Order: sequence, then structure tokens, then C-alpha cells
Amino acid sequence: MSERETFWFVILALAGGTFLLRSLPFWLHGRAPAPRWLERLLRHVPAAALTALVVPASLYTKSNGAYEVAPARIVAAVAALLVAAKTRNVIWTLVTGMAVLWVTQGVLGTLGL
Amino acid sequence: MSRTTSSMIAGAQAVAPVIVGIIPFGLVAGAAVTSAGMGLAEAVGMSLLVNAGASQIAATALFAENAPLFVVVGTALVINARMFIYSTSIAPVLVPEAGRWRALLGHPLVDQSYAAMMTKGRYRDDIRVVPYYVGSWLVLALVWQLSNISGALGGAFVPASWSLDFAVPLVFLTMLVPALRFRADVEAAIATALSAAILVPLLPMQTGLIAAIVIGMVWGALRHHEHPAVEVDA
Repeated sequence: MSERETFWFVILALAGGTFLLRSLPFWLHGRAPAPRWLERLLRHVPAAALTALVVPASLYTKSNGAYEVAPARIVAAVAALLVAAKTRNVIWTLVTGMAVLWVTQGVLGTLGL
Repeated sequence: MSRTTSSMIAGAQAVAPVIVGIIPFGLVAGAAVTSAGMGLAEAVGMSLLVNAGASQIAATALFAENAPLFVVVGTALVINARMFIYSTSIAPVLVPEAGRWRALLGHPLVDQSYAAMMTKGRYRDDIRVVPYYVGSWLVLALVWQLSNISGALGGAFVPASWSLDFAVPLVFLTMLVPALRFRADVEAAIATALSAAILVPLLPMQTGLIAAIVIGMVWGALRHHEHPAVEVDA
């Protein structure tokens, strides 16, 4: 497979799997109850999955496949978390996070860190 | 104006305040596709067929890092497993009105259309829920599609020194905060955070991401058993 064909394979596999995840409960509703253990496990998917997407990307940058701790990103992520918890607003969180990242990168760069 | 039309408009209005929030997200998703070496067709095809931003960005980024396909698709599907919960909880609202095509109502299920229905739509007696739900999604999908295309076309021109990739975790962060409603959720998040911080750099091919999510889910499920539904003071 060419690179492009492989990417289309990813798109189709992801689309099919996601459609099943979204549609099965609609189809099953009134036909079969979801097992209790599955419900209990899935209840924490949003908290776990979103945390996994936030934390490594806020701690590290990747250069040539190696992870390096990124102090500016950590500072920016903490500031953004505070704003997100306070305002629950996407725009304010984005603006704060990016602004603090740029300022911190600038300051650390000036200090030669 | 027919009841169907007015319900669709009401759904569209319900998601209007969050539209601005998905634009940067769509830009990032579109830009990720072109920076992975793919073109506009792939960006459009992906956002139309998958219709789930977080998983699109994650899959594209992992693909660009040459992760094996089972990791690319597996991670993205784990991220989308939350759709299964949404679907389970929204089904009693939609299914009675949906008829035989109800399985098709799965595709428009995204974070924002779910939230609009569950926090507003289902309490209104002046609308029909299915057109309300479809109306909210049409607006979201249109904005999502346009911002993906803009990102795919323009993303290549944004200099790397702007660190625009950091917008991705920031968007996820704003989605995370409302997900931390119960103490077991907070504990699941902490377990995931610690696991991800250690495992992601350690395990090969980004498998640490899936491992961290599974650890957090299991931890949350075990703790939930001990403290069912203790709400966090917010």
C-alpha cells in the first residue's frame, strides 16, 4: 500500500469503528440492556481519555523521536487549567494557554534556559 | 414555519455559543492532515466520515509518527469510546421519535450535539428532538468542515515557532474540566495523568497512551464501586 492508501485505510477503519460505537446503543435500546460492568468501566472514559491527551502534550516536546521536558508548556498548561476551571470557556483557555506559552518561551529564551 | 424547521433552527441556536470553540480545533485537525503529507481530499474525507475531532487529530499525529496501524486506529477508537456512553445515555431521548432509521442517528453524535440535547433540548416541549439534534449537528459539521479545509490549506504556512500544536491539548483541557464531575472521575484523571507522564515516553510506538487510558478507566471503575457518585464541589 502507498502512504496515501494506508491513510485512507486508517480513515475507513476509524470511521467504521466509530460508527459502531455511536450506533450500537441506539440499535440495542429496548432490545438488550448494556452489562453493568461495561457501563461502570466506560463511565470514566471521558476523564481518562482527555487527560491522556492533555498530560503528555503539556509535559513534553518531541524532537527526533526523543521526549524532552518542556517547562514553558507546563507553566502554560497550569495557567490554562485554572482559566478552564474558572470560566469553562474554550476561547479564554486557548488565549491564556497560548499567550502564557509564548511569554514563558520568550522569558526562558532570554535567560538562556 | 414547520415544526421540523423550527426545531432544527432551535438546535442550531443551541450550539451557536460553542461554534467559536471548534474553529481552532478544526484548523488544527486540518493542518495535521497536510503536515502528515496528505492532501485536501484526505482532510475532507476524514472529517466527513469520522466526524470526531479528537480522534482525527490523534490518529493523524500517530500516523505521521509512523506508529503501527493497530496503535493508530486503536488509540483513536479508545478516544471515541466516550461516544458509546453518550449514545447509551441519549438513546432514551431520541429513539422513541426516531423509528427504523435510528442507527443512522449515531453519526451526528458529537460532544456538542450531545451536550445541547442533554442540557437543553430534551427539556423543551416546543421542539421535536430528532430535527433539533440534526439541526445542531448540521451547524457543527459545517463549521467543522470549513475549519478543517482552512487548516489543511493554511496550516502549512504557520511557522513552527508559534507552537500552534499546543492548541490541541488546550482544547482537550477545556473538554476535560466538565468531565470531572465526580470524585471517581478526578481519581481516574489523576491515575491516567501519572501513568501517561511515565508510560508515554517509556513505551514504544505511543502504546503508553492506550495503557494510561485503560489504567485510569479501571482505577475509576474500582473507586466508583467504593464511592458511588460522590460529587465534587464545583
